[in-house]
Amino acid sequence: MNDRFEVRGILPENSLPEIPAGHNIGIIGPTMTGKQRIAIQMLATPYNSGEGILCITTNRPEEIYDVLRDHVDSLDRERVGIIDASGREGRELVDVSTETVSSPSDLTGISIGTAKLSRQLESQGVRGVRYGLISVSTLLQYLDSQTVFQFLHVFTKRIEETEGLGIFILDSDSHNPQVVNTITGQFDGIVQLRESENNDLEFRIRGFDQKTVPWQTLEQD
Amino acid sequence: MTDGTPPVILIAEDEESVAEGYELWLGHRYEIKLAFDGKEALEMIDESVDLVMLDRMMPKLSGEQVLAEIRKRNIDCRVAMVTAVDPDFDVIEMGFDAYITKPPDRQELIDTIESLLDRAEIDTELQEYHSLMARKGALLSQKAEDELDDSEEYRDLLERIDSKRAEVDANLGDMGCDIDFVGAVREIDDVDEGFEEIDRPPTEPSEKGEHGK
Repeated sequence: MNDRFEVRGILPENSLPEIPAGHNIGIIGPTMTGKQRIAIQMLATPYNSGEGILCITTNRPEEIYDVLRDHVDSLDRERVGIIDASGREGRELVDVSTETVSSPSDLTGISIGTAKLSRQLESQGVRGVRYGLISVSTLLQYLDSQTVFQFLHVFTKRIEETEGLGIFILDSDSHNPQVVNTITGQFDGIVQLRESENNDLEFRIRGFDQKTVPWQTLEQD
Repeated sequence: MTDGTPPVILIAEDEESVAEGYELWLGHRYEIKLAFDGKEALEMIDESVDLVMLDRMMPKLSGEQVLAEIRKRNIDCRVAMVTAVDPDFDVIEMGFDAYITKPPDRQELIDTIESLLDRAEIDTELQEYHSLMARKGALLSQKAEDELDDSEEYRDLLERIDSKRAEVDANLGDMGCDIDFVGAVREIDDVDEGFEEIDRPPTEPSEKGEHGK
């Protein structure tokens, strides 16, 4: 098992090189600030180190898979699992293990899929699993915020106890600030994103037992 | 179940001597109801039952069929499967909350029952935890954190949050264990089907902090 997960090079100036095992991190910001790109990079970057990826998506699974593949040279399909919680009928073929649940609100189905896929990853001998939930905001469209909060409590606890890494996306402008703050309370740390007045993307890191880093520009490649 | 009366356990077991053996072990702790086949078990299940121990192989209706019917009727109770063969992953998919291998050891049986009864509390406890965290969330959307740190009320809220979280986590059980994890999520999921609307805590400051920033 890893005692920490490398996320080096994703945020500029080495501001977040690694995250301790068992931690859950929120990627939070308004729409169109690159949350998904950062989340996927954090899921996929270390791929060759023998870790596994388990991603719950409320988007089309092939979309996530394609983006993952863009970030990983040789995606070892045996070490990737996707839970399709899009609720969409008629699926295109994704050649990684996929579990499908009926809708984004099927939390029990999501948990069964998680248990199933994590067993599969375990049998592949992975050294730690990076979990992604893309995105919490979709769950909030289907369920009340209390239920989503409760689910996240159980889910983040699972990640903590299995010493994985949890990565969660939350759109800050789709919900009222109180809901965003309350949900954020389930994370050990967050990467906040925003667009500055001159349209630059900026980020800051909070939590992880470090001092709040001031807003910095996020380099775009 | 929270009103001081003992939890109600329905034991569905076709071998009478085995069923009575369980009753002997458990009767002083819980209120025990006995059913000797699957059909009888279904007739006896209602909202007063906190936990059902279902023998997997029973005449008339199997444990799996009884479970499916309980879930279909949306009855809020925990269901443990009692089985002579070591169960597979399908036990989790079927919707059992725990399994007990036959013949159970007395302490093992009580431990399993206790952890399921603890888990029955997490939905309520997580609601209480959520309402404290929502209050914190509302304050944070109105004031900066360092400003709040000076307030005694805020520090008091943080303390209550910490102790509530410890309480929740103690009852959650081992979330690294697949069946416990799925069972815990099912506890949360169940409420949503039925009476969630009237069940919301009225004190929750939802929507009000919306204009904070």
